[in-house]
Amino acid sequence: MVHDPMMEMYLFETGQLVNKLEQLCIASESKQDISEEIDEIFRIMHTIKGNSMMMLLEDIGKVAHRIEDLFDHLKVVTLSEKHIEKVIDFNFDAIDFFKIELDKLENNLPADGSSDALVASIEVFLSELKGEAVVFEASEDQKYFISPSNTVVEDDEGEHFFACTLFFEKDAQMENVRAFTIVHNLKDIAEDVLFIPEDIVENEKTAETIQQDGFFIVAKSMNTASIVEEYFTDLPYIDHNDFRFLSEDEYNELKVDLTGKVEEEVVVEVVKEESTLVQKEDASAPRQSFISVDVNKVDKLMDLVGELVVAESMVINNQDLIGLQLSNFDKASRQLRLVINEMQDIVMSVRMVPLTMTFQKMSRIVRDMKKKVGKDVRLNLEGETTEVDKNVIEKIGDPLMHIIRNAMDHGIEDEKTRLSVGKDRVGQIELSARHVGGNVVIKVKDDGKGLDKARIFDKAFEKGLLTETMDAYTDQEIYGMIMNAGFSTKVEVSEFSGRGVGMDVVAKNIESLGGSILIESEPGKGTEISILIPLTLAIVDGMMMRVGESIFTLPIMSIKESFIADQHEIIKDPEGQEMIMVRGVCHPLIRLNQYYEIEGDADNSKGIFVMVEHDDEQVLLFADELVGEQQVVVKSLSKYIRRVNGVTGFALLGDGRISMILDPSGFMVM
Amino acid sequence: MKRVLIVDDAMFMRSTLKMMLRKKEYEVVGEAQNGIEAIEQYKKLKPDIVTMDIHMPEMGGIDALSEIIKLNPSVKVVMISAAGDQKHVLDAMQIGAKNFIVKPFTEDKVFQVFNKL
Amino acid sequence: MEELMMNELEGDKYLTFAIGADAYGIEIEFVDDIIGVQNITYVPRQPEFIKGVINLRGLIIPVIDIRIRFNEETRAYDDRTCIVVIKIDDMPVGIVVDRVLEVVEISEITVPSSFSEANKNFMTGIGKLQDKIVLLVDCKALLEDIVV
Repeated sequence: MVHDPMMEMYLFETGQLVNKLEQLCIASESKQDISEEIDEIFRIMHTIKGNSMMMLLEDIGKVAHRIEDLFDHLKVVTLSEKHIEKVIDFNFDAIDFFKIELDKLENNLPADGSSDALVASIEVFLSELKGEAVVFEASEDQKYFISPSNTVVEDDEGEHFFACTLFFEKDAQMENVRAFTIVHNLKDIAEDVLFIPEDIVENEKTAETIQQDGFFIVAKSMNTASIVEEYFTDLPYIDHNDFRFLSEDEYNELKVDLTGKVEEEVVVEVVKEESTLVQKEDASAPRQSFISVDVNKVDKLMDLVGELVVAESMVINNQDLIGLQLSNFDKASRQLRLVINEMQDIVMSVRMVPLTMTFQKMSRIVRDMKKKVGKDVRLNLEGETTEVDKNVIEKIGDPLMHIIRNAMDHGIEDEKTRLSVGKDRVGQIELSARHVGGNVVIKVKDDGKGLDKARIFDKAFEKGLLTETMDAYTDQEIYGMIMNAGFSTKVEVSEFSGRGVGMDVVAKNIESLGGSILIESEPGKGTEISILIPLTLAIVDGMMMRVGESIFTLPIMSIKESFIADQHEIIKDPEGQEMIMVRGVCHPLIRLNQYYEIEGDADNSKGIFVMVEHDDEQVLLFADELVGEQQVVVKSLSKYIRRVNGVTGFALLGDGRISMILDPSGFMVM
Repeated sequence: MKRVLIVDDAMFMRSTLKMMLRKKEYEVVGEAQNGIEAIEQYKKLKPDIVTMDIHMPEMGGIDALSEIIKLNPSVKVVMISAAGDQKHVLDAMQIGAKNFIVKPFTEDKVFQVFNKL
Repeated sequence: MEELMMNELEGDKYLTFAIGADAYGIEIEFVDDIIGVQNITYVPRQPEFIKGVINLRGLIIPVIDIRIRFNEETRAYDDRTCIVVIKIDDMPVGIVVDRVLEVVEISEITVPSSFSEANKNFMTGIGKLQDKIVLLVDCKALLEDIVV
């Protein structure tokens, strides 16, 4: 959504502040203590209030203001446990309100939510607190020095005398302070400044008087008339005034009148507050400077870096250079590769965002759901600083939310049941994320009752999704059935996890990211759902192999060794599977042309065997020719391409051709 | 072209002010997020005008104002305050701020005050 | 097809292309790009109508032979053969067509009840342009059917 720059900035900063707020509240909730967070929450609310008022977003501003007031009071008060909980709840309510309103603004809708209820309840709570609690009020005595100006006044004819009554604008606010500012600044150009009301500094109520009756000043000046008049022209916050010059006589008369009422030269001390430098070690968030960047620019940058890698390959692996001995060129190209590698790392990291916020959202969901489903559940987070591409962050939230809600609603048993089977009263959900190869693996593991394999199978069989007997399918294939549309073995679809957001939608979302879902479960012990998402700009060091007209790329990491065709004996096992003996051990042989039904070379003289390994299993692949080694950019498979065993993606080669990237695990026989 | 230093811990406020000032002959030469940065930036840039938010972490506007006035008693500082912050604004005026603007403010108010500096 | 005149009535815009003697149309909101046919890299074990993939400005997109999809006879590609790249929900797919015609506005559309079996699922209707018939392709249905 496109917004004007001010809104964009407002949404960005306020969004960040709300996130930080939530972090603080979750922390204080688990400690059941807010003392460490009070100052920061106060400051954040103050900022949100200020920003929102600027954008004329009154409801948001009001809520922030109330909480600011509340926290201001909390700084000098100790709270009972019950009250702490209430305060934290208010904060979460405010956070929710902010989020809803910000969301509306994100989508160019008016932030029309009413804050009245929330504001009122906070006000009530605050006044209750003030009535009950012991309040330590800091006593501050500050008086100010009102004196004639310090400049030496020469009594000569250059003097001008004047008086002025100032009337402030309706919304001027703090009129007494404004009045003070005016006379204070006036002293730069005038002397003997007298005014009514005179207790503008000590008495806030003078603001009202000034609003109603105006602020009266009389003084004299050595400066030119125009300078004096100029001062009173276009004064900010002044609606109108009646500035006039006085004759010396008029001035003296007025002076006598005024000084008759005012005590001359009230000399008081200026008590200066001890200012302490607050150096707070903010352990949770080191101060970083950020800039906001258009996502499209970043996307373009990423594409370009991808093309750069390809272009570099085109240069380095160029036909023209074959057979030449170019040591200087080699050195230079190695340097080039180093620089490009670093660039690619950094560009990738630009779009990478840690999962922290998303995981935090999940904490929030677990917290909210605990009360609703009446179960005590602990969410353990691991690897929340793992980074993923920006668009993954946007699309992974809902699927995770659904999976976790499922776990809480259906997976984890109620307290009684758990205790009766010897489990801990508190259910555990483990949410973890980590990088594996060119992917991110996010896992949700619960210690609930697990999936009912038989029931799922029956339902799938009923729907015609599975046609053979139960033992013909692997556990995973059966569990995977729950990702089909309309598949819910629950008798009633619960409010939280059912209704429209089924596992099938989750599966589609993950698929649109080019990822996949794995479901594992053990009855009575729990369920583990793993989501695998490829990193966007994955670059692989690959070995290119030709099979007929097709080119395949194997990640070099997975290659154990390779050798030419005629050195080893090919034998067949009882099931007809070809095997090759390598150093006394038999390994399955997979002829790529047969496996993929591609026409291979008729002449196998350049044929090559490549031994690949995955999880301690080794397999040999046979290709027509080894083409070369190259760094390639991994492009994920379009959703319109049927998934084929072993093929995990495409790669653009240096000469513009497209190669299929192989993943050895797809060939493993077990 | 009057040179201005904007001091506020809220990014939003800084950019709003910046956008407003750009429309007239004010050149925003720097920004600071707290009092400490404000003093550093002042020393480095020697701006003609400084807008100073009052409540900031690390070091607040009043303290920063104090220090900057010591460096240059004739510097023009405009305080930016929240409504109802009487005490702090009064302190600031005493110490030497030239005027103050209350949040939320409009462009006109900003220029009204700036024109009179 | 010779000059197709624009109708005076407001209609939807379609990109028309030819398969043999028949004219087809696709709503231009779905058309992302049109390129001359290029080498298509074969991808194993795909349905017959998916010829493979091509490189489109760094993006690797699948290509469908629409003749096969519509159960027509296949024909060798020549220098007028084009690939029309259509995109729904951000996922591009290329379609090989014999010849690309032009963009026209079609307002007269009928939906007959008797479409041939093969075509029924992929058509939204029949458009009339002067005295020519344009078969209007339902992109969404075409692509939905292909999804894994």
